[in-house]
Amino acid sequence: MIANLIWWAGIALETAILLRGAQTGLLRKYPLFSAYIGCVLAKELIGLFTYQFARDLYVPLYWPTELATIVASYAVIIEIFRWATRHKPGLRRLAQNVLLIVFCLTVAYAGSDFSHGRFASLARAIAELGRDLRYVESGVLLAMLWLFVRYRIPLGRNLIGMIVGYSFWIGCNLINVAFWTQPGNGFSVLLRGLLPVTYLITLAIWCVTLWLAHAEPVPPSESKIERDYELLSVRTQAVLARASDVLLRLTRIRP
Amino acid sequence: MIGLLPIVLVGALILVLGLRLVLQSSGTQRQDHSVSMEELTKAREALDTVFVESAAIRRIFSPEDMEFVAHASPHRVQHLFLKERKALAIQWLRKTQKEVALLMDIHLRLAAYTLEPSPRFELQMTAKYFAFMFVSYLLLLLLWLRGPFKAKRIVDYTVGVAGHFCTVFSVRLNSVNAPRLS
Repeated sequence: MIANLIWWAGIALETAILLRGAQTGLLRKYPLFSAYIGCVLAKELIGLFTYQFARDLYVPLYWPTELATIVASYAVIIEIFRWATRHKPGLRRLAQNVLLIVFCLTVAYAGSDFSHGRFASLARAIAELGRDLRYVESGVLLAMLWLFVRYRIPLGRNLIGMIVGYSFWIGCNLINVAFWTQPGNGFSVLLRGLLPVTYLITLAIWCVTLWLAHAEPVPPSESKIERDYELLSVRTQAVLARASDVLLRLTRIRP
Repeated sequence: MIGLLPIVLVGALILVLGLRLVLQSSGTQRQDHSVSMEELTKAREALDTVFVESAAIRRIFSPEDMEFVAHASPHRVQHLFLKERKALAIQWLRKTQKEVALLMDIHLRLAAYTLEPSPRFELQMTAKYFAFMFVSYLLLLLLWLRGPFKAKRIVDYTVGVAGHFCTVFSVRLNSVNAPRLS
């Protein structure tokens, strides 16, 4: 009963996000995010109908559709990255390099993990692949969040909502996936039970923050911001060097 | 179970950074995000004041005063003196850390708006900043544990790390156009 309620609530929230997005123009503004929500909605509907009317098909269809939504969720990362760095070509290049390194490292890790696995069934193999894709996604998301926080990238309210909801979902999902391999663990059982609820919370965050279209922050005028990056960088370096030097001299004081 | 730790840690970090982003964005909506040249100059001046008093700061760590107090005063006064010096040393170090952090924050805000930041420079800068913070926190711990006069041996150990850090800076500073810095 509760499972069905969560299922229907999820479908209702996803539909609301898409319908509201169509009304406010956010559907066209964030096409990749909308495509992801559409993909999840399609998966939910397929799951619901097969569960109700063709239960034999439910299990064979579950893992492929799950994998499709995990792959589709990469579109959200691309969407966030695209919008967050649209006024900053330099930072975009920096972020691209960092993200590429993180992506290669995590793909290598996940690839080695996948190649060493022994799979009893196709469902198991898809589940393992899905888990590894989540690892890659988490590595990329973590690097991206770190860049946003570190460089204090100004983000619009819609984008913030998208990022927060997505981070919440991926963070909870990752912890859950990690404990998946510990089926007897009491915490694992609890997390599995809570996962649909965390997805509902994520959808609620997206629904609230994307209900209205908010304006994107305007970059400050040229006169107010730094004009000579090199000069300021050198100044910062010089002050840091001086701070280190004083620190070093103080540590060399003889007793 | 131990293998799960990094994954759980990444998951937890994502949640924490997501929360931090919310707090950061709600804070920045109230204040202007841009940085002016004046703001940077003020931060630099604030840091300069920390170093202008370098003679007085050296005195905090100097053992002569302690020797004098040890010879001429009762144990209670020695204890009080040590306590005050320790508090002063820690206060100075915390102030320096705060000023450097403020300067770095301004630099990062500027970098976010710069059209062409250098990825190599930014990564180097980040590494150097973390190295500085690491050394200064290590020193803080030493001051807290052993006081300003008795930490020499352990402090010497950190000199190697700090020395390397300073060498990197010195090499970079050789290419600085001096008149542009003034």
